[in-house]
Amino acid sequence: MGITLRAFIRKELVQTLRDTRRRVLLFGAPVIQLTIFGLALSTEIKNIRLAVFSRPDDAMFLRLAERFYASGWFVPAVRGPGDDPMELIASGGADAALIAPAEGLRRSAERGSGKMQLLVDASNASKARAVEAYSKSVISEAALREYGTPLRTPVRFDVRVLYNPAMRSSLYLVPGVMGMLVCLITIILTAMSLAREREVGTFETIVSAPLSDLEVLLGKTVPYVILGLLDAALVVGAGYMIFGVPVRGPLWQLALASMVFVVATVAIGTFVSTVSRNQQQAMLGGFIFLFPAMLMSGIMYPVENMPGAMIAAAYLDPLMYFVRLLRNIMLKGGAPGVFWTDVGAMALMALASAGLAYRRFRRTLN
Amino acid sequence: MNDTVVPGRGDKGLLRNRVVEVENLTIRFGDFTAVDGVSFSVRKGEIFGFLGANGAGKTTTIRMLCGLLAPTSGVVRVGGLDFDDGGNGIKSIVGYMSQKFTLYDDLTVGENLDFAAGLRKLPAAAAEKRRAELFGMTGFDRPLTAKVSDLPGGIKQELALAAAMLHDPEIVFLDEPTSGVSPAARARFWGLIRRITAVGKTVIVTTHYMDEAEQCGRIALMRAGRIIALGSPDELKDSAFPGPMAEVDFQGSDPAAPIERLRKAPGLLALSPHGMRWHAAFSEGALMDAALSALPVSVRVRKIKPSLEDVFIRLAGGAQ
Repeated sequence: MGITLRAFIRKELVQTLRDTRRRVLLFGAPVIQLTIFGLALSTEIKNIRLAVFSRPDDAMFLRLAERFYASGWFVPAVRGPGDDPMELIASGGADAALIAPAEGLRRSAERGSGKMQLLVDASNASKARAVEAYSKSVISEAALREYGTPLRTPVRFDVRVLYNPAMRSSLYLVPGVMGMLVCLITIILTAMSLAREREVGTFETIVSAPLSDLEVLLGKTVPYVILGLLDAALVVGAGYMIFGVPVRGPLWQLALASMVFVVATVAIGTFVSTVSRNQQQAMLGGFIFLFPAMLMSGIMYPVENMPGAMIAAAYLDPLMYFVRLLRNIMLKGGAPGVFWTDVGAMALMALASAGLAYRRFRRTLN
Repeated sequence: MNDTVVPGRGDKGLLRNRVVEVENLTIRFGDFTAVDGVSFSVRKGEIFGFLGANGAGKTTTIRMLCGLLAPTSGVVRVGGLDFDDGGNGIKSIVGYMSQKFTLYDDLTVGENLDFAAGLRKLPAAAAEKRRAELFGMTGFDRPLTAKVSDLPGGIKQELALAAAMLHDPEIVFLDEPTSGVSPAARARFWGLIRRITAVGKTVIVTTHYMDEAEQCGRIALMRAGRIIALGSPDELKDSAFPGPMAEVDFQGSDPAAPIERLRKAPGLLALSPHGMRWHAAFSEGALMDAALSALPVSVRVRKIKPSLEDVFIRLAGGAQ
């Protein structure tokens, strides 16, 4: 067993690392994708184009508008002198328009109502919600500063944001993207490597040696578990260097969680290869698994928001556990209770998929 | 079980020397019978050839003999071992070079041989010693660091053979080892096969090439999963063509009418085109002379010995 496994590991590593395309897939793509996803997949909405409409002498309103722009969320929309607010939003020239009362904000406020109109383009609902929330906070801030009285709210929150005080979405998203990348690369590499041997015919040489089915299976999968772990370490390092995503929990938790997850994904990759006739099919088969796994993992949309049946499916998604584990370990310091239940659930899944892959694999051998 | 030794055709000494014994071997894939009741045996040190078209069952037969496929029924004994252990016993004493790629193009010569040694669980020192032996025998002189993709086809096949023989198997199975290889490299490879059998190993080989089949000790001619003829090249020729054969060259004149007449000539066994010429086989010399003398004077006629190609066309091609 030892000699054969070592020979397999050496061969697969040499093949993978020698091939430029696979080297890029393994080391280049994760770093590039992590950067792109980390930057682009921001849930914070910034640079909202706001147009303000008022009489030129409405000093109070213009001061308020200044506060909007100073908040960092809004930028002035480009507009011509005769533009109508509705038209401006319809044409996409602005995301929101703030319109002062005709009599001027001061006079309106003195009469006790102070009504302004805010037009929001809600064709992007999350952006619209953000505009509403930001506007409220700008105005209540202004009320406090200018008059020393907060807007009338009976209850005030003392909000303390834990683990991610600056509410940087990268901190939340980067662990998710890490999980996704490790998942993608291990499944695709494993499935492709097995499919390639079958397609080219070298697999015939492997099975003509007097090896047990398990030896062949381990020989073709253990190297990819090793590569997957290397990749996980690389992605964690890149997350730290590029986005400053910390690892607050113990490293052994990170290593153990990655190990269990990579075993599960390599098993899934093996399974995919057993139902594929060639490399293209293996690639497609990999993605058929990957897309739902990513969508249900809670990387982008919270699992809690899904309909009931989908939540049940999400609980069968190893990526969901891995992403939760990564967030737990990296941001929250790895609370042991949650850690062990998630690792346990993932281990069960790894075991089940490894068992299934082994059975399918044996069937394709004989 | 499986102690059914084939009762002797041939004497006791030969019986003991049989390294491969196959009796009534059959394999079905669903409704399709790929190999259908095949029986033969191979002697130690023999070059045994399988000749037949694609899909005749040569590769499937060889894969069963290598322990890669379980037969549906019948007896397989290779080096005294059967398939009862799932084939691993057989796998450990035979070498197999499949007709597909057996080497990794993206690895070097050394890396390929190291992996082959690992598959056979050979310790590093033993593998290195064996590699030197095989390089000596094959005359392989490329550096270990050479990438396999950079080697010419013939050299690749020699290396593949070395990799298949790293564990010093007694019986070597070669499935179309020379397809796509230059004629000079093919001749070199067959020189190697003879050297392997000269040291007492047995080679079982499939081929499409008639000149290669001529070099086998015995040939099994396969068609549609069955062995339709088995024997040495000379035996096959004698049994397929008990009488004489002539080559008929029309030298540019229209062959249609004379061929039609020849077809009806008494005693004709076979008539087949070979390029621009025709081969005509008869049951007796006198009948042949009579038929040929009736041909136009411009036709040149020459007595020839039948080739394996004639045998193949007569036995495998004709009745299809």
